Amino acid sequence: MTQTMLGYQNKVLRIDLTKKGCSFEPLRMDFARKYVGSKGLAIRYMYEELEPGIDPLGPDNKLFLTTGPFTGTPVPCSGKLSIAAKSPATGTMNDCSVGGHVGVRVKYAGYDMIIFEGQLDKPGYVLIDNDKIRFMDAEHLWGKGSHEAEKILADQYGPEYSILSIGPAGENLNIMSCINCDYYRQAGRGGIGAVMGSKNMKAIVIRGTGGVKVNDIEGTTKRLFEILRNDVVNDDNQFIFDDGTTAFLEACNDGGILPVNNFSDTTDEKWTEYNGEVLNSYRQGKRGCGSCGLGCGNFLKIGNAICEGPEYETIAVAGPNAGNRDPEKIVKFNEVCDNMGLDTISCGDTITWAMEMTESGRHDFGIKFGEADKMIEYVEKIAKLEGVGADLALGTKKASEKFGGEDIAMQVKGLEYPQYEPRGSWGMALSYAVSDRGACHMRAYAPNEEVFAASIPPYTPEGKGQMVYNLGEFNAIKFSLCICDFWGTIDYAIMSELLTRVTGVEWTEQDMADVGRRVLNIGRAFNQREGFNRAHDTVPKKIVRDALQNGPAAGQVIPPEAFEDMLNQYYEIMGWNQDGTMPDELVKSLL
Amino acid sequence: MKVTIVMRGTLRKVYGYDEQVVEVPEGSTCAQALEAIGVHYKEEPKFGFVSVNNMRCMIDDELHDGDYLKAFSKVFGG
Repeated sequence: MTQTMLGYQNKVLRIDLTKKGCSFEPLRMDFARKYVGSKGLAIRYMYEELEPGIDPLGPDNKLFLTTGPFTGTPVPCSGKLSIAAKSPATGTMNDCSVGGHVGVRVKYAGYDMIIFEGQLDKPGYVLIDNDKIRFMDAEHLWGKGSHEAEKILADQYGPEYSILSIGPAGENLNIMSCINCDYYRQAGRGGIGAVMGSKNMKAIVIRGTGGVKVNDIEGTTKRLFEILRNDVVNDDNQFIFDDGTTAFLEACNDGGILPVNNFSDTTDEKWTEYNGEVLNSYRQGKRGCGSCGLGCGNFLKIGNAICEGPEYETIAVAGPNAGNRDPEKIVKFNEVCDNMGLDTISCGDTITWAMEMTESGRHDFGIKFGEADKMIEYVEKIAKLEGVGADLALGTKKASEKFGGEDIAMQVKGLEYPQYEPRGSWGMALSYAVSDRGACHMRAYAPNEEVFAASIPPYTPEGKGQMVYNLGEFNAIKFSLCICDFWGTIDYAIMSELLTRVTGVEWTEQDMADVGRRVLNIGRAFNQREGFNRAHDTVPKKIVRDALQNGPAAGQVIPPEAFEDMLNQYYEIMGWNQDGTMPDELVKSLL
Repeated sequence: MKVTIVMRGTLRKVYGYDEQVVEVPEGSTCAQALEAIGVHYKEEPKFGFVSVNNMRCMIDDELHDGDYLKAFSKVFGG
């Protein structure tokens, strides 16, 4: 089907960095009908355009900036942008979601998608001002922190422009590097910053002054106000404005899934020293993304440390998982990671792994649990590949292959674990294992069911295949619509209604489910072409070997056969073979 | 016996308080303590889980004198 739908610009900007040229082309509406936008659309384009086996840090990899049909419309919580490429950390597909206002600006510049190809011959940045594209020199920015570089560009171009930038980590092709946006938002995972760095592209500066056409603007707007009042800005979602993701800390601590000392245990009796109440007492201000109705962002300043956040993940990894309880050090870790352009989860997990390696006497990385100042110093070393930082910049998978300690390396496919302990939420072990980009909590968030809603028993494999599938299908379409995770009460009825109103084409609730399933499958298909199968859907040995000692999940360990059982369930539901591969007919049906 | 009941997240707004100390009969469960103060968790769609003394537990677990019972609302995302 090639039907044109409103809500889209029907335009792709393709930028050739090698030739310093660009071209415009129509959006593949057949792709949009099957994959909607943002996440799903980006993966479908990656499948189409990235040859199997390419070097993620070579000129053949491409960087896809992708919006969705809601981007730039008044649909609440729709302002995010997908940034995707083949991952240098995992070799899999990788799509990241970044907040701020850049998504809206890409759309208002006239594009559904911007694709960067090739490599600049020297450090530069790309200036996109609606339909005018310029290739600018960035010698004066190269080597600078992401915040410093962004400030220089922001001072030069002003507040109408959004800036995506990388720090020294991305320049140095660090596989844990991220892309920063609007100072404190990140496309964080899978080394996406290194892909930008490999293209010698320090920044992307973009302004869009157009708009986007919606099918029934009057009816849609009226309905959106109802939805905003009744389903977005309500008591159920209010916690995210009041507390941000610090709200998760107490729930995770009491729920037995807050990791301590590199996932050696859970539940920290000192959690009140750095909880939301403490952190938010230093709040300087709030911020939301484009079209946001919730405003989760907290600006904190403690001493000389400042950041937007810290989000739950960063609190946990730089807090109890590193043996640290000083909130100022947590904020400083966050600030330095952002400025250096490093993903706090992967960088944090790698350092906590090094702490355990040192304390257990396996290899002396010169850092132990609780050494928070040193942890912050190590961030800069990792970004700049200095001293011990050069070894740790390998990430936990490659570093453990070199130094030992694979059993305590908390990663899947080379992507480090987010901060939810699977022994307290067994479904999370499955979720991390089958996630298409390696261990990611945003694919299927098992604690929602197993802990926070207490709707499914956490310490059993029973029913976990279906649970992880349901959660994954839902997030796959939600993120393909570019809807923020924190609109927690949205459902398929609202999604399909809004998509129908905006595009002028009928979408049903079943369509939402079908797109979600398709998105899960196209990610898997991409990875399969790269050689991934069941052997790569793994769980760290620690999780299936060592029982937790403390907290409500004390005594819990996931038996290996239980993990395999969960995998079998999931593969069966997905229609995959038991070796984790996909039948040819299934792959063909995706194209 | 006396137990402290704490509301977390949205439940604070729904029930209008953060924390209160209540007297309940010996052997009361978490569910019974909550019912005693008008928290009908089965009918409350915002209700998530409970913890006692900072440890997740089952709604039918028995309480003891001095326990600190927290009722969490559901949270989304991560």
